[in-house]
Amino acid sequence: MPVKAVVGPNIGMILLGLVLSLVALGILMLVPQRFRRGIVRAATLIGGLYAALEFFLPTQPMPTPDDPKAIGNFLSPSVVPFGNYVNAVFGWTVGLGVINLCQVHGKRLMKGGAGSFNSVVFFLSMIMMTVIGILQKAHPNPLNKNLYDVLFVGGLVSLDATMFSIVAFYIVSAAYRAFRIRSVEATLLLATAIIVMLGQIAIGQLLTRWIPMTSAFHSLHIELIRSWILTIPNSAVTRAIAFGLGIGGLAVALRIWLGLERGSYFDA
Amino acid sequence: MEHANMSAWILVPLMSFAILFMILTARKKQLFIRRIQGLSAIDEAIGRATEMGRPMLCCIGLGGLDVPTFQALAITSYIIKSSARFNTRAIVPVYDPQIYPVVEEAVRESYVAEGRPEQYNPDDVRFLSNRQFAFAAATAGIVYREKVAASFLFGVFYAEALIFAEVGQQVGAIQVAGTPSTTQIPFFIAACDYVIIGDEFYAASAYLSREPTLLGSMVGQDIAKGMLIALIVFGATLATFAPILGKSFGSLFLPK
Repeated sequence: MPVKAVVGPNIGMILLGLVLSLVALGILMLVPQRFRRGIVRAATLIGGLYAALEFFLPTQPMPTPDDPKAIGNFLSPSVVPFGNYVNAVFGWTVGLGVINLCQVHGKRLMKGGAGSFNSVVFFLSMIMMTVIGILQKAHPNPLNKNLYDVLFVGGLVSLDATMFSIVAFYIVSAAYRAFRIRSVEATLLLATAIIVMLGQIAIGQLLTRWIPMTSAFHSLHIELIRSWILTIPNSAVTRAIAFGLGIGGLAVALRIWLGLERGSYFDA
Repeated sequence: MEHANMSAWILVPLMSFAILFMILTARKKQLFIRRIQGLSAIDEAIGRATEMGRPMLCCIGLGGLDVPTFQALAITSYIIKSSARFNTRAIVPVYDPQIYPVVEEAVRESYVAEGRPEQYNPDDVRFLSNRQFAFAAATAGIVYREKVAASFLFGVFYAEALIFAEVGQQVGAIQVAGTPSTTQIPFFIAACDYVIIGDEFYAASAYLSREPTLLGSMVGQDIAKGMLIALIVFGATLATFAPILGKSFGSLFLPK
């Protein structure tokens, strides 16, 4: 019963999303080229207006079974269905991505040559993962489950972890270049990095442990300097960047919402 | 779901008004914007790729259909228009299948706008994977195999940012990066040749196109920033002097 309650509305929303997308695409195809941008802009304006009104209109308690403390206004209940519609559109686009991958690798395979082995691996991996993924869902017996685990946990997750671990080595090489003393800024960066790193580790903290915590110089403890660097100058700069980004994001969002954006795909 | 509090009620409309007012003003008079070195370097990087006869990488990050990705796409369109004039190839890897059709269309339109539709190669706009490190591995592979001469990293990035930047550095590519992901900016600064920081990312399209609407929006952004700075100074002053007056910061605004 609970499964039905969860799955039912989602499938309905996906189907509704597909139908609405098809209708919207059909209408757009029928409309003359010169009116299409106008329709897209109008849809953007209405969508943006909905989001803005939902955010700004006064709220009242609107408890739901999941969140008894939820607040909202008369537009809030539609937020989740709209989200589901976006998910349905996302389902379509995943197909587009797969088609593009097959096109690129299919052409390479036809041509042959140096990179064609990678394309063979791509097709084999995709087919195996799709077949075993479906089998594991449809017939969740130990064999299918183990095969899926070998491919997903043993293969994909391990490869992901390998790529992530490479970042550690890249950090060292990037840090080496960044910390070379070439200018006043680079020297300052190096000094700050040394203090933060020493303040982070026990052996670094030992260096200034001899300064009594009751003395006037206790703030020279390296872990306190590290903490000051991270919480005062670093936070101030990060917040300044975040403020700028927030305002920049607001400006771009306003331009897109009101159809004022210019350049490539936005031009009339 | 989040809703507006008192600060949002006052500040968002005020800042929006400042931005829209400057957009309207910019249509009537010329506005000045300072030089941004990172953005000026884009043309230098395209020129280098042209001279070397090698392709460029234009990565728009891991964002979906959102404002930073649209901004990254606007910058990428400019890069492709400029490179099309010199017949330089641009490879655009795509992470999110949602934006794949948008990117494909934007790249095609950029070539058409420059009168070079024949230069558009559908295989150069590639959906790679929507798994973070699979995408990173595939993009790094492209950088190595194609030996890109220039790498443009604009958009939302996470832990894979350094992989792109370091791999580009290893093949000797000139790299220009800009991201709204504040945690990744230090990695780009360490590994790239030019980095645009903070709201310069959103200023890029205005700076590159010199379009009056965008220039006005950029000056409006500066006015909004001025408002915030004034508010911060005002708040800091009150927070400093309120205890001297024997009151808490909040009590200065509350009725007696």
